[in-house]
Amino acid sequence: MTVSRRAFLKGATLSGGIIRVGLPPLEAMFNANGTAYAAGAAKSAAAIDTRFVFWFNGNGIPEKYWIPRQTGPDYEITPCLKPLAPFRRNIHVVTGLDSPAARVPQPGNSHYPSMSALLTGQPFTGRGAGGASLDQTIAARIGNDSRFRSLQIGVCQESFGESIQRNMSWAARDRPLAAEMLPHRLFDRLFGVREEGWVQRQRSILDAVGQEARELQTRLGSADRSRLDEYLTAVRDLERSIAALPAEYRAVVERPPDGGDLKDWPRIAKLQSDLLVHALASRQTRVASYMLTKCQGLSRFPWLGHTAQRHHEYTHGQVETPRGMRILRDICRWHVEEFAYLLARLRATPEGDGTLLDSTCLLFVHEHAEANSHKNNNLAVILAGGAGGLKTGLHTRTTGTLGDLYLTLADEIMKAGAGGFPTAGRKLVEVV
Amino acid sequence: MRRFLAPALLCVWFTGGVAQPAPSAMRRLTHSQYNHTVRDLLGDPSRPADQFPKEDFVHGFTNQSAGQSLSPLLAEAYNRAAEKLARNAFRGGDGRGLVGCRPAGPADAACRERFIRTFGRRAFRRPLTQEEASRYSRIHREESLRAGDFLRGSQLVVEVMLQSPHFLFHLEEGSAPESYRIASRLSYFLWDSMPDEELFADADAGRLAAPGGIRATAERLLASERARLAMDEFLAQWIRFDRLRNAIRDRRLYPEFTAELVEAMFEETRRLFRSLAWEDRNFTEFFTADYAFLSSSLASLYRLPAPAEEFDRVPLPADSGRAGILGQATFLTLTSKPVDTSPTERGLFIREHFLCQIVPPPPPGIDTTLAALTDEKPMTTRQRLAVHLTNPACAGCHQLVDPIGFGFEAFDAIGRGRQKEVVTIYPTQDELVRRVKTKPAEHRLSIDSSGRVEGWPEPAFSSPRELGAKLAANPACQRCVVRQLFRWAAGRRETAADQEAIAAAFERFRASQFRFRELIIAIVTSPRFHGG
Repeated sequence: MTVSRRAFLKGATLSGGIIRVGLPPLEAMFNANGTAYAAGAAKSAAAIDTRFVFWFNGNGIPEKYWIPRQTGPDYEITPCLKPLAPFRRNIHVVTGLDSPAARVPQPGNSHYPSMSALLTGQPFTGRGAGGASLDQTIAARIGNDSRFRSLQIGVCQESFGESIQRNMSWAARDRPLAAEMLPHRLFDRLFGVREEGWVQRQRSILDAVGQEARELQTRLGSADRSRLDEYLTAVRDLERSIAALPAEYRAVVERPPDGGDLKDWPRIAKLQSDLLVHALASRQTRVASYMLTKCQGLSRFPWLGHTAQRHHEYTHGQVETPRGMRILRDICRWHVEEFAYLLARLRATPEGDGTLLDSTCLLFVHEHAEANSHKNNNLAVILAGGAGGLKTGLHTRTTGTLGDLYLTLADEIMKAGAGGFPTAGRKLVEVV
Repeated sequence: MRRFLAPALLCVWFTGGVAQPAPSAMRRLTHSQYNHTVRDLLGDPSRPADQFPKEDFVHGFTNQSAGQSLSPLLAEAYNRAAEKLARNAFRGGDGRGLVGCRPAGPADAACRERFIRTFGRRAFRRPLTQEEASRYSRIHREESLRAGDFLRGSQLVVEVMLQSPHFLFHLEEGSAPESYRIASRLSYFLWDSMPDEELFADADAGRLAAPGGIRATAERLLASERARLAMDEFLAQWIRFDRLRNAIRDRRLYPEFTAELVEAMFEETRRLFRSLAWEDRNFTEFFTADYAFLSSSLASLYRLPAPAEEFDRVPLPADSGRAGILGQATFLTLTSKPVDTSPTERGLFIREHFLCQIVPPPPPGIDTTLAALTDEKPMTTRQRLAVHLTNPACAGCHQLVDPIGFGFEAFDAIGRGRQKEVVTIYPTQDELVRRVKTKPAEHRLSIDSSGRVEGWPEPAFSSPRELGAKLAANPACQRCVVRQLFRWAAGRRETAADQEAIAAAFERFRASQFRFRELIIAIVTSPRFHGG
């Protein structure tokens, strides 16, 4: 099979733009077919896009099992970080980050302000996050040429149900972007069969809908206008994403089954990671968020043997007892395991002269440090990947804020030109 | 920080009368409204919105404008649902009679015009404007000529309309004549669905222009079973049934806690609410009812004789300590944890849901671990929580909540009565290895169930029944019922501008001896609701 790497699906959208859906790098997608894509790779290596993945799990970490004692390149891997041992050279553990916006008093429990501050650098509004989240700040600037400006992917669903707990991507203040939680639906979105005739029909339908919404815009007050604008944006995004994918896609990406145990979180997590890697490899998006568990999540862990309580209760139970600490260690090691799985898949996907991991920047965060005390200074995060000269192979203790880190990632690594981020005062030279 | 260390009463954030920027009045259909609307509009019972991205809770409900984001994922879901609904509507012809005339051919203009006007009025819940009618007519004509089939045009029109903002949103200004907006507000609040033909006729005839007309219409809608189902949903969200549905219990301690028992708990709560609301009883009995609607499983949990029929009304003996919602397993369970009760959660729930107060979270950096339990010094939950009231960083707020919860300590984490708190201490790994302790030790500790409501002139109580009587007589609690229903009806938290309307609704509620139906009427006839 010969498919040029630069083969794009082209189609004019109604707004006049060109959508371009790149074909997947073949080595990655056609395991059996070998090296069709290698020949032209070297010369286009410079053109490879960087990707960004914002990766979250809830309820913080047991610091003593998680944070390495030593800084620099020779730190000893901690029990929770053990699954990342094969990726030492690809990751950068950054600790000591402050999150000042989390300490602006607001109603609601302690997780809410921490979550808002973690994602957006802005205080919780009493309803939702205080602004655009990091991934959306980046996507707004680098996502517009992709089929999907950004993707929101979720895994574990158990939560107390509040907006701030269930969402990690926020388009703007109080405007959450829901995540796709079911692998077969995510597959259909990315790789579902779309016939040409269907595409044309959908385009004309959305054109009519858009026209109606725009007419209505002129008659509304400003508050309502912004709400309708949100819908128009979503319709435009949908318009852009409607495309007839080349048949090659169907041959390479297997559709996850509809059924199976949809609460078997390790299985779902891996299916979602697989699809995320395919989406990034096939250039359908450059920016994604991945929410393994919910903020203040209530997941249970039968595969770890911890079923008497749920995650949040474990973080406030008898955490000071050795048994309580061991339970949290097991849980957080599982989170890291799933993160490591994603890194492994990215590393196993060739692109240009290297791998997809080389052109990706991943940031793994939690809303708290130690969750029992709802601590939101001295936060610990993991950076991974080789995009844009990210410095890896280190544990760094810093005194910067999350905003400092985010600004550095957005502008130095992802070249998004954000120019600033709430709570950012300086760029963190330690990570570039 | 000052706020957390301030005297207790300053800790509570009273939310009434807070000036806020004018919120967008524009709400989208909730998922439940979407399901009911396509059922009534298209005769399609498939509940497509169950597959949409789940709705989030904001301000205690999932129907709040502030929580209704429009993500690309939701727009895609609308798109997919519209495609499927439109296709099914015309599968094998016009089986559901949506077109309403027999087209002479693909280009039958009269039939097309008629379909667009009648269906459009029902889909947009108001008559179409001339421009809209001609736009849809064009869409219809092109498609039916292209496909050589009149119904293909109709299908496309339906598919577009189902994605139009005029269908998906409750539009307030600049769109519909007022009487149609009122009709929609009434039907979505009272039926959770679109207006029926009779309500459209009321709007056509201008009968909704005066409060008297609104009242008569509201009473007609309230007489329908649909109103009961719609208010059941208000109840389920107000009392946060979702938390009970997602609750888990340690099986070693609570083997009787099953999904069936949880369903029985919901049913008990629903039956009490329905009996008060629809039999026009005094709604303050929600807190004081000395009777209950029990399944045999609940009767056994409460240690009462089984009812003759499932969910028959049975008396609650005074010495049971139970009365109303506070004595129900629903409340007692959803505010507990997998192993223990949570006096903090119980107190917090009462402050937030029944008194409409907001208690701020603990300041960050506080270690919330309670003293570890040892066989040498076993402690009751109350004893372990004592630190909340002695540590000044905690006490400011916790004295508002924990002492309320202490009054419920005679009921365990699934709502069973108890004389003693059984504290089970499992052997640690170390003890198991050293074989100094191999079996869990059970300690049976005496319970102190004296509670108090900080800030009340007569704060002391010692059972759900005693607190229920105090709540029922408390104007703040009575007003809170009004505020919760207002939030549900308006889809937003009340603002300063709503205070007068809420006060007026409260007066009518009280003057009617707290008839819930009268409260509903007071809300729908308020200018803040119908916007007149």
